[in-house]
Amino acid sequence: MFSISFMQRAFIGCLLLSITYGLYGMFIIPRKIGFMADGISHASLLGIAVGLFIGVNPLLPALILAAFLGFLLAYSADSHRVTSDGLIGIFLSGGMSGAIIIMAFMPGYKPDLFSYLFGNLLSIQNVDIYALVAFTIFSIIGFILQWRALVISTIHLDLSKVINLPTTQSKYFLFIGMSLGLILGVKLLGVILISALLITPVMTANQIATSFKSTFISTQLVGFFASFVGIILSYSLDLPPGPTIALLLVVIFLLSLLQSKLSS
Amino acid sequence: MLTTDLKLNSDHVNIVECHDLSLIRNTTEVLCAASCCIPRNSLTFIVGENGTGKSSLALTILGLLPGNDGLICLHSQSSREPVLGYVPQSIDFPKQFKLTVSEYLQYSAEVKNAEIETTLERVDFPLNHITSQITQLSGGQVQKLLLAAELYRKPDVLFLDEPLANVDNASEKHIIDVILEIRNQGVTIAIITHDWNMVSNYADHVICLNKNFACTSTSACLCKNSLSKVNIKNIQKVTPDPEHMHDGFCYIENI
Repeated sequence: MFSISFMQRAFIGCLLLSITYGLYGMFIIPRKIGFMADGISHASLLGIAVGLFIGVNPLLPALILAAFLGFLLAYSADSHRVTSDGLIGIFLSGGMSGAIIIMAFMPGYKPDLFSYLFGNLLSIQNVDIYALVAFTIFSIIGFILQWRALVISTIHLDLSKVINLPTTQSKYFLFIGMSLGLILGVKLLGVILISALLITPVMTANQIATSFKSTFISTQLVGFFASFVGIILSYSLDLPPGPTIALLLVVIFLLSLLQSKLSS
Repeated sequence: MLTTDLKLNSDHVNIVECHDLSLIRNTTEVLCAASCCIPRNSLTFIVGENGTGKSSLALTILGLLPGNDGLICLHSQSSREPVLGYVPQSIDFPKQFKLTVSEYLQYSAEVKNAEIETTLERVDFPLNHITSQITQLSGGQVQKLLLAAELYRKPDVLFLDEPLANVDNASEKHIIDVILEIRNQGVTIAIITHDWNMVSNYADHVICLNKNFACTSTSACLCKNSLSKVNIKNIQKVTPDPEHMHDGFCYIENI
């Protein structure tokens, strides 16, 4: 299994995704915008549909659309007139509707679309891995530079401004970076279930961790373990990778919840 | 439009000066042409009834609220911008963020590991809670933690919003002593409070915000009335002149 080139790409892809999603998830979940992952990934279907319709790599229009939506979310994050969860709901329904209408103009079976919906191990190309490596490097550098601002602005925005931390910069980095990351993971995990890898490892870590440091370590371990074992199960049992990893994450989360209840 | 003017290497008697400050929040006029100052190295109290704009005034000076009009002058004795500190009355920490007390100090004020205990001891914070998560602390413990972090940052001006609101009697005295100690070390402190006894005992300077009535005489002035109730005897100067109409704002110097 490990000598097959597409499996190697799938493992590397999942490893990179679990690292980056774990980092973004640690700041997205406490801000109560975990739903953002669903909103952006579903809305990106519009970009994917446009790409398939005009015959270009569907990830390109999807990335542009996701970056724009991430920018809008960051811009409106502190607004009193527009709530983030409301805006995400609008993105989700608007993007999905647009995608379905465009697909109505493309008759026949659309295997590519199903790959994007549920993920497909075979669809991962070298270029996808290069893009993920570049995104991981970008994210890690961004987090190193913005870490303190992200931590303090997550717990109290005013304090981070008084301390003169780059609060606005870190917010745009978090929202746009997360949106781009979701699109880069779509081929592997699928639009429908990609949010599982963003949300569930952090939620699981929160059941067992006692500090921010241990939350960080637990999130990375849970994400990596579920992705790795999920890919193996997916290959061995001929299951779609997205649902397999998502289900595994749910099981781990339920076990952590049980362990947390028992220990308390 | 609000302008902030930074004056470096300035020995001006006031570290903060606000001129004709106006602030509108959600179509409500909170501050209207308010002018006041915070003298250097003073213990200044910002007082007034609920909704008079005490916190808004502090937040505007801190740059956290975009004022609509006016000028804020910050006079720094050195060649760098004055360091501003702020301790809010309470913080609702996100429950899903498992930051411990020591991690909070490291991130917010870059406190070194070896200095965490002494930083917390300074504000009488119970050291057995060093590894506790900040979401598990009581209101008083959170206030002490926030104060400890801000003191470590060595601010030139420290704004405290109701610093004694959640602390018990034993800690109250300790925190007041800490406040007086850092004032004596040269830190300018501005406290937002409703506690007139605290004002009468410790104030060097009072900024009093009135609302919805014209302070046309000494007897109608909320500050004068409140201070006289706690036997403040030598109010030396009230500005603007209480004999003249001044709607919404006055301040009292040199108590």
